[in-house]
Formats: sequence, C-alpha cells, structure tokens
Amino acid sequence: MVSSLAVDITPSSKAFKLFFNHEQIRTMSRVKRRTTHPPYWHVLKNNQRDDEKISSDNLRFVREVIQDKYKNKSPIKGSDLGIEKTEWDPKTKRSGVIARNIGMQHMWEKDGKKIICTVLQVLDNHVIRYVPPEEYANSVIGAKMFKNRKPLGCLVVGAEATNPDRFTRQYCSLFNEVGLLPKKRLARFIVTPNAALPPCTPLTAGHFVIGQAVDVYGKTIDYGFQGVVKRWGFKGGPASHGATKFHRRGGTIGTGRDKARVWPGQKMPGHMGSERRFNRGLKIVRINMKYNIVYVKGTVPGPTNSIVQIFDTILPRRKFTEAPPHPTYFPPEDGTLPQEDIWDSSLHVFGSPSISV
Amino acid sequence: MKNHLQIGLALSFFKRNAVSLTETLVTHQPIETSDEAGERSVSTQKTGDESGNTVIVAPPEFRFMYPEFLPDPAPGTRNRLREKLERMDMLQRRSVIEIPEFYTGSIMAVTVADANSPNKFARFVGICIQRGGSGLRAWFILRNVVDKQGVEILYEMYCPLIQKIEVLRLERRLDESLLYLRDALPEYSTFPLNMEQERRLNNSVVPINPIKVKLRPRPWLERWERQNLQGVEDLNLPQRFYDKAEKVAKPWEKYDLMLHYRKTIPAEEQEKIFAEVHSQLQQQELKRKLRRRRGFDNEQ
Repeated sequence: MVSSLAVDITPSSKAFKLFFNHEQIRTMSRVKRRTTHPPYWHVLKNNQRDDEKISSDNLRFVREVIQDKYKNKSPIKGSDLGIEKTEWDPKTKRSGVIARNIGMQHMWEKDGKKIICTVLQVLDNHVIRYVPPEEYANSVIGAKMFKNRKPLGCLVVGAEATNPDRFTRQYCSLFNEVGLLPKKRLARFIVTPNAALPPCTPLTAGHFVIGQAVDVYGKTIDYGFQGVVKRWGFKGGPASHGATKFHRRGGTIGTGRDKARVWPGQKMPGHMGSERRFNRGLKIVRINMKYNIVYVKGTVPGPTNSIVQIFDTILPRRKFTEAPPHPTYFPPEDGTLPQEDIWDSSLHVFGSPSISV
Repeated sequence: MKNHLQIGLALSFFKRNAVSLTETLVTHQPIETSDEAGERSVSTQKTGDESGNTVIVAPPEFRFMYPEFLPDPAPGTRNRLREKLERMDMLQRRSVIEIPEFYTGSIMAVTVADANSPNKFARFVGICIQRGGSGLRAWFILRNVVDKQGVEILYEMYCPLIQKIEVLRLERRLDESLLYLRDALPEYSTFPLNMEQERRLNNSVVPINPIKVKLRPRPWLERWERQNLQGVEDLNLPQRFYDKAEKVAKPWEKYDLMLHYRKTIPAEEQEKIFAEVHSQLQQQELKRKLRRRRGFDNEQ
C-alpha cells in the first residue's frame, strides 16, 4: 500500500518490520485482492460486432444523425438546473470527480524546497443520475454498505464522451435520459442528500478549493507476475560466496512442527499490482481553470495516463472547516472569467522574482 | 553513431530550402573545428504549408540551444497537455531570469541564494561537464578545482533559488559528456573563481575547443578506453584493455534505427514544440537586449 506518511512503510523498508504485527500481515495477504471480471449487473459495454461493410453515404448519414441527436448542448449555468439551495454543514459529503493522471511536475515552495506534484486533468465530467438514499439502500451494494448506518445517496458521474458507435445499445441507453454522448468511464460517488446534483451537471476543476486535502483512488501500476523480492520485499540470498541458485528465492516456507503444513497467506511469487488503493490527505497546491487541471502534492496510485477518482478527504483533521463550492462550482453568471491559474500561498509562482533567503 | 543520427534528423528537415539544409549539416558535426563550422542563421524561417498560409517555424538550432524543452521520449510517460503546461511554466521562469545558451564544455558562473553564506548569495564558477533532464527537471553539473580539491555542483536550471546564470566562455568540446575530467590532471578542470565574461569574437558560431586532455595514471573511475572519447589523449594502455573493449563493444548500435528513434523526439514534433515557444523566447531576448542597451546608455 502506498503510504502518505513521512515514514516509508512499504514492504521493503525497515520501518515496515517495526510498525507491523506480522500475524496481521499474514492475514492481510490472505485477503482476496482483486477480481479481474466485471460484476454480473454490468451491461456489455464495447461494441462486439466486426466492421460492417457500410457505404460511405450511409456512414455520413449515421454521423449526421448522431450530431443532430446530441447537438444542442450549451454550457449549463447554475440557474438553468433545478438545484435547490441547500446549506453546507460539516457532515456533508460532496461528489467526487473523475480525472486522469497525466504525469508529475516539480514545483518549489517559497523557502526554495522542491516538491513533487502529480498533475491531474479533470475530464469532462457530467452527472448521469442521482439515486436517492432509500432506493440505493435497497440495491445489493447499498444494502451491504449501509447495513447498520443511515443510508446516503449515490451520484453516477460519467467522463470522456465518445462516439456512440463504439458502444452497445444497452450501454448507450444508460445515457438516453440525460441526452448526453455516451461516456467511456462511469463512477459512483456516495453523497449526502443535500449535495445531490441534477443530471447533466458539469463538474470541473473549480469543484475543489486551493489548499484542501483530497483522497485519490486509483488502481496501482500492474507489475505482472513478480518474484518474492520485489513483491514482498524479501532479501533473497547472497550474490556470491558460493550460493548455488539461491539469489532471489523465498527460502523457507514453514517450520516443520506447528501445523506441519504451509499456512494460508504464505508470501510467494504471484501477480503484483493492479489493486484498488486510496492515497489520502493529498494537498491541492494549484488549480488551472482554463485546462481543468488540478496539481496535487504527492503521488497518486496508478501509472501515467490512467484514470483516478478524486474526493474530499475523510481524514478528520484535514476536512473542511469552511464551506466549499456546494454542491459544486459554477462559473459566475455575469460572465466575469474566474482567475485562470490559482496557486497555493506556500508555493513559489514561476513568474515571480527569484527567492532570496 | 552521432553523425548518423544528426544526418537522419537533418534530412527530415527537407521542407526547408537547400541553403538552410547545408547549414544544418555543416554546423552540427562534432569533429569539425571552429573554422569549418558554418554560419548559423538566427532569423526565423517562413515556410508555406499545403494551404498556402505562412507558418512560422523556429530555426533548427533550437534543439541544441534549448534541449530541455524537448520532453523525455519514453512513450509510457508522455502526455502532450502536461508537456505543454510544463513549457508554459518554463517560459514564465525564463521571463524572470536569463538562462543563456550553453553547452558541455562552457565555463559558467551560477549565483544561488544560500542561507548559510555570509552575504546570503553563493557564487560558483566551473566548467559544465554534463547536462540532462527535460522540462523543469533540467540540470547541469559544474566542475572546478578549489584549493586542490575537485568540486562538482549539480544545479537545477529552473530552481527559483538561482539568482543568475552567466556564461563566461561559450564553447563546445569534442565530447557530449566531460566526466573524464575527474580522472584528468587537475589543471584541465581549474578555472579562476573571479574569471570575467569573455567577449565572443564571432556571435553566430559556437567554437569547438579541440583540446585533448591528459589523464592521470590508472586506476580510473570508469573504463575510458571503452567509451570512444574524442577529447582525451592517447590512453597508452596495454593491448589487452583494447582487446576487451572490442569484445564488449556494440558496433551494431549505430545502425539500429529503432533504438535512435526511441531515444529521440521525432523531427515533426520538435518543430511543433519549438514553433510554440519560439515567439516568446524571441520576445524575452529582445526585452533583455533593450534593457542592456538602456543600461549601457544610462552608464554613459
């Protein structure tokens, strides 16, 4: 698990051995870590049919039909949507946002210290549907989540509008009510009812506030089938001094006495990576409103150009104390453009004079 | 290997007129002396594209003058939008401080804000032995010998603590990396700390210093005989070293087109990138020239 603590507690570090109970780790290595198939209620998404021999006239007609169907989509202002004016309170859970991790960039703080920031591009998010709490609590996942808790609502948000040709009819039907181009990625965000948003609401980088802490969910880098040294941080064997064929192997896998078998959860080579992980409490240091970019201090799970989800943090000491854009951000109606590039106060802005200590 | 690569890229500039093509070929062969190195044109060249509109294109020298604007070619980590944003930040920083053109082998002075110095600024003079990195991560290493102790400092070009970068002597050497100066006699790395900026005799040509450096006797930090160094004197090693060097050499690499393609940004993309930054860089240079001229006039 990638940690955002100051002490490095990845499996290969010494601190890992100090802080963790090894019994617990053995149990944790038994946890079913990933499923590679989608859930049974997912509709088939990508178009399976092979290239039909369609004439160029018909192709042009199909494109015209698509354009006509989806054309009248002007940017939605806050007043157009039927959003009830709701108050923000500290227990509100706002929607999250789907973004793409487009890489990392160095920035410098005002005292000259260098920090590494991850650049996240907030894609063209639109709310597809809101499921109220009572209805969501009746669904399979909702029932599990809110077993002994007060149920919350669920916002289905989509990102990356694509040509409907690529998807099956069942998948496109998910977007028929809203009248939006089908989205490549969908995500569900759990929200309190006062942060509900009507369908077709756009979510942009302005949804976040400079200096706030966010949690980023992503699937970690897929390393494939890896050996025990890389996967679990084993030390392996000596490189020389006569070691015969024992350089990166696991060594012993059990005692002989208690239980007289290999315990479940014994660490061995296997598939590493491609797991759901959350990096919590990452600070937003810069927002670019023109390109919908959020710069986040620290690292984010997953490789470059992968999709992540950004939420307001759940860490109790870094939550909001003042109201953020609630339920989401809308550009001002009088046409005044927002500030294009917003920097955190601790950061050195590149156009400003050099730092002198 | 280098020749092959550069000729390949130069040929891809076929869109330009023949005059500039020969300029490209002639200027950037590393073995030539400064007499044979041709004139460099600093002006923009306008070419027409298919639609007939004039397209402003940056001169081909830009990929040597500003190599850090080119992104890291590794395909998995590339993203055009992020590279563009990084370039915008680099231009912002360049509008505040002048980062001059320099090459490996140039003698430079860097002034850095330092809390531990008596007057809060630390100035170091040295020869640039290596430069690398792309974007805001671009760095260079300066080497000097101070009180008989070799000192190397790595500077990040876009770090805001840097107050001033001066190029005291702009020249190139026969190699792209001068790490062998660590094993050379100290006089080749010694430069006076109070060195003054030398005036360039010919502004359009970057001279190539054909000096051959003498190395100290072995042991060395690296196996220099395996690296095809042009800027060192004959190493005078026993024949077995050269035999082993031949055995481990990879002479086929200079014919490996895909290897070179993967290590560089394609010429069409380079043109696009430099066309984007070219006008801003020119504007910044003009502003600086005016400021310098105004300062000179004021002094007079």
